[in-house]
Amino acid sequence: MSRIAQAPNRRPAPAIGGSVPTGRGHRKVWRPRAEQLTAWAFLLPIVVYLVVFYAYPLYRNLELSLRDYTVRSFVQGDAPFIGFDNYAKVINDATFGPALWHTVVFTVVSLVFQFGIGLALALFFVRNFRLSATLRALFLVPWLLPLIVSSSTWAWMLNSDSGVVNAVLGMVGVDPVNWLTSPDWALWSVTVANIWIGVPFNLVVLYSGLQAISPAVYEAAALDGASGWQRFWSVTFPLLRPVSAITLLLGLVYTLKVFDIIWIMTRGGPSGASTTFATWSYRLGFGNLVPSFGPGAAVGNLLIVTALVFGLLYIRVQRRQALA
Amino acid sequence: MTAPRRWWKTLIGMALTGVMLFPVYWMINVSFTRDRDMRKSPPSWFPVDGTLEGYRAVLDQQLPYLGASLVVGLGTVALTLAVAAPAAYSLAKLRPRGGGALSFLLLIAQMIPGIIMAMGFYAMYLNLGVLNTLPGLIVADSTLAVPFAVLILTAFMSGIPQELLHAARVDGAGALRTFWSIIMPVSRNAIITVSLFAFLWAWSDFIFASTLDSGGDHQPITLGIYHYIGNNNQQWNAIMATAVVASIPATVLLVIAQRYVTAGVTAGAVKD
Amino acid sequence: MTAARSSGWSRRTLGVGLAVVAAAGCLAGCSTTTPENGTAATGQPSAGGTYTIWDPYPQYDKTSEWVKLLESCGSQAGVTVERTAFDTSDLTNKALLAAQQGNAPDVIVIDNPVISTLAEAGVLTTTEENKLDISAISPNLIAAGQSGGKTYGVPIGANTLALYYNKAVLDEAGVDIASVKDWVSLTAALEKVKAAGEKGITFSAIGTEEGSFQFLPWFWGSGAQLTKLDSAEGVSAVTLWTDWLKKGYAPNSVINNTQTTSWQEFASGDYAFAENGTWQLANAKQAGFEYGIIPIPGKAGGTAAAPTGGEFVSIPVQQDAARYATSQRLVTCLTSTDNSFTTVSTLSYIAPTEQVQARQITENPELEVWVAAVKAAKGRTSDDLGTKYPKISEPMWGAVQAALSGAKSPQQAMTDAQTAIQ
Repeated sequence: MSRIAQAPNRRPAPAIGGSVPTGRGHRKVWRPRAEQLTAWAFLLPIVVYLVVFYAYPLYRNLELSLRDYTVRSFVQGDAPFIGFDNYAKVINDATFGPALWHTVVFTVVSLVFQFGIGLALALFFVRNFRLSATLRALFLVPWLLPLIVSSSTWAWMLNSDSGVVNAVLGMVGVDPVNWLTSPDWALWSVTVANIWIGVPFNLVVLYSGLQAISPAVYEAAALDGASGWQRFWSVTFPLLRPVSAITLLLGLVYTLKVFDIIWIMTRGGPSGASTTFATWSYRLGFGNLVPSFGPGAAVGNLLIVTALVFGLLYIRVQRRQALA
Repeated sequence: MTAPRRWWKTLIGMALTGVMLFPVYWMINVSFTRDRDMRKSPPSWFPVDGTLEGYRAVLDQQLPYLGASLVVGLGTVALTLAVAAPAAYSLAKLRPRGGGALSFLLLIAQMIPGIIMAMGFYAMYLNLGVLNTLPGLIVADSTLAVPFAVLILTAFMSGIPQELLHAARVDGAGALRTFWSIIMPVSRNAIITVSLFAFLWAWSDFIFASTLDSGGDHQPITLGIYHYIGNNNQQWNAIMATAVVASIPATVLLVIAQRYVTAGVTAGAVKD
Repeated sequence: MTAARSSGWSRRTLGVGLAVVAAAGCLAGCSTTTPENGTAATGQPSAGGTYTIWDPYPQYDKTSEWVKLLESCGSQAGVTVERTAFDTSDLTNKALLAAQQGNAPDVIVIDNPVISTLAEAGVLTTTEENKLDISAISPNLIAAGQSGGKTYGVPIGANTLALYYNKAVLDEAGVDIASVKDWVSLTAALEKVKAAGEKGITFSAIGTEEGSFQFLPWFWGSGAQLTKLDSAEGVSAVTLWTDWLKKGYAPNSVINNTQTTSWQEFASGDYAFAENGTWQLANAKQAGFEYGIIPIPGKAGGTAAAPTGGEFVSIPVQQDAARYATSQRLVTCLTSTDNSFTTVSTLSYIAPTEQVQARQITENPELEVWVAAVKAAKGRTSDDLGTKYPKISEPMWGAVQAALSGAKSPQQAMTDAQTAIQ
């Protein structure tokens, strides 16, 4: 019984900042060298992997943004170094303000709904019922489709004239909406499609997180007379926090990065109404006949910095909780 | 008493799945639609006057691609786990100095646009001579999943009770044995989850496949879509049919895998 | 990075980061200093060996006429041909990337407006260097492959835009197609069609080069020049489209339509007109209704110049200049009179030479209207625009989208676009 009672207090270590101690009072404990060697031996494959496969693209993206690339110098490799000119250029661009706002709206709305819906579904599915495993698996089917197919299907359904969504609205007597072709609606339409794509991810990860919570904890809470809601808020949610945090952080990273869905559905249009940093970066670098690699990479790097800031924020919050 | 309630749940579950999968249904609907009915207004809810043209084209041309996709998908899962699981164990339980910085790099790594990654791999593969090979594609696809896998596995593994590890140490198990015979079995749910996503990403990847394998003898099914994308025209029923055919075997795999995600793995281990 | 500094382990982050960048520097250095060119990767530079060809026709597999033609041209030249197909939108980036890595293909088939860009990048050889014969090619078609007085390739075939119409819909609305001669009469016809309860016209105004391609016949047909988007003529072309949308003569979906989507709308049989290309001819026959084709009318009558579409065959720069001779034989074979006929038939294009055009008309009289349209057509990069064209095209499609979606007035949209160019 005492073991069970302890469970909710046992704050698992955060995912990032693995050096933060899990238990009580371990912080300044001197770790023997051998242990550090063992720890790094396990990390060796990932370190090699990171250096070999990510270093060059990361360096490349940085280098592209700091030089004045034209198509000619891209091929010949003699672009002059221009420091932060590309960054100054994109920040002063008329697209910057709206793109920033769209990125914030798209990311925040997507995250809130993906996580909310995903968690609700995970709680629903966690009580096993007939077919629950099969249905849960079917939720993942959208992820099997290449984005070009799923995004095109959404564009199809939201088509102003022959789309099924407007057909349904017509049946209940609502005027058709120009989902993808009106500046007022385009951003919302791509956000909805993105939420749809993100829900399975949240569902599956949070579901696994719920499964990792010992049933004994619930039994204890039930003995204490906690109601369903109380159990969720005081037992489930705190225990799910590490998994929730990493799910949200990864969701943030993936949402910031989304460009295919928007690109295929609206090309960032009409008239820039659904342009986010990610689509802007793609359009600059690859969406035109003449690519502007430099500014494209600069926008991409601004996104990386944004993710970095949120990563730091995550660590701070985690650390404060771990020390509390 | 509980049986009728559970049936209710099944019904609600089916309804929710139905809503979720409606776009997939719509894709299937389009895959059966004749060219002339593609933009009919209002659209048909069912493929009346349906055509099997799309499927005929797909079954004639696409089946060999499925094998390649399967190899790439499973290869990606294996490579991802081999790299990510030990790293996650170390980050979650062994507290390496600089582990935080490493996790941070993993986070940044995921932000690099796919197309830039693909350009990097192209240059690298060209010089190594592994362009247009399946192993090359497996390595590239694994970069979609490895950072994710490390971060997720770390989050789950750090939830494994410390008592379990102390017990193992008392029994005289080294770090390697602890990893292999305690951490891995206990993390089964998380490993299945990570494998699922690694597989899904590899299966649906288009950018790496088109950059690194478009001249290959064995191509994944996503490149099969290329058959129907002309320079001026796209055959949408065949594109959708390809996607449908590609999803069927993978869906079966998903259903099987999900059955292995079970409750109480950790709890059971603690009690032992 | 300021945020990182406040955190305890920032120096370690930086350290690892630097190590990573240093390693990358080596990697980057290795990849650019190792002169691994196409010849080493693909075979011997002398006669015989393997020659690589890239094309934007992924829809054709090994059993297609096109690939068989490539192979037979290869065996005639005494070499093996290794062909890779890419999606059109992908091919430019692939070509630039491959050229950067010194791995450009021996022959590339590429969309014509991209030629000036690749030429600017120094990726393509001129006809002086590669000795291709271009004397038989129609001047208006070869123009798209010329830049700064040099020619960078041979058109493999050409296509352009015209108006397809649905006879049944027009009959029902009481429109005589002969009466459609200029913008006013076309708009009047659309009004009648709408009054009869049918749908007017569909086209593609998507925010990519495709949208500019479709807008140009109206833009040029108004008498406007690409050097001045906000002229009264240019604005009148945008106004024409905008008014069609406002009055319901054209569907709102055109803002997001690709040419394929627009064709699917026309194929539903509900639309009177569709602006589309030569390549839809085969699909038109399967549409299941009677159709006809007229040239796109100019504002005040006559035929508007439509942009030329279609690909060029070019020979990219190689480190080993000895390869050009064989590449030249391959390209000459592909574009020879007999083979040209096969190629353009497969692709549903119009031939670039008068001789083959005449043969196309003899075998298929229906093509006459298209041959006339191609003769009247104009290269997008012509008028000495070259690499300036892409910088004009992007603001232009942006302006069309802004006006059609109601974000800006036509005048405002075009003024802003012109400002963006300068």
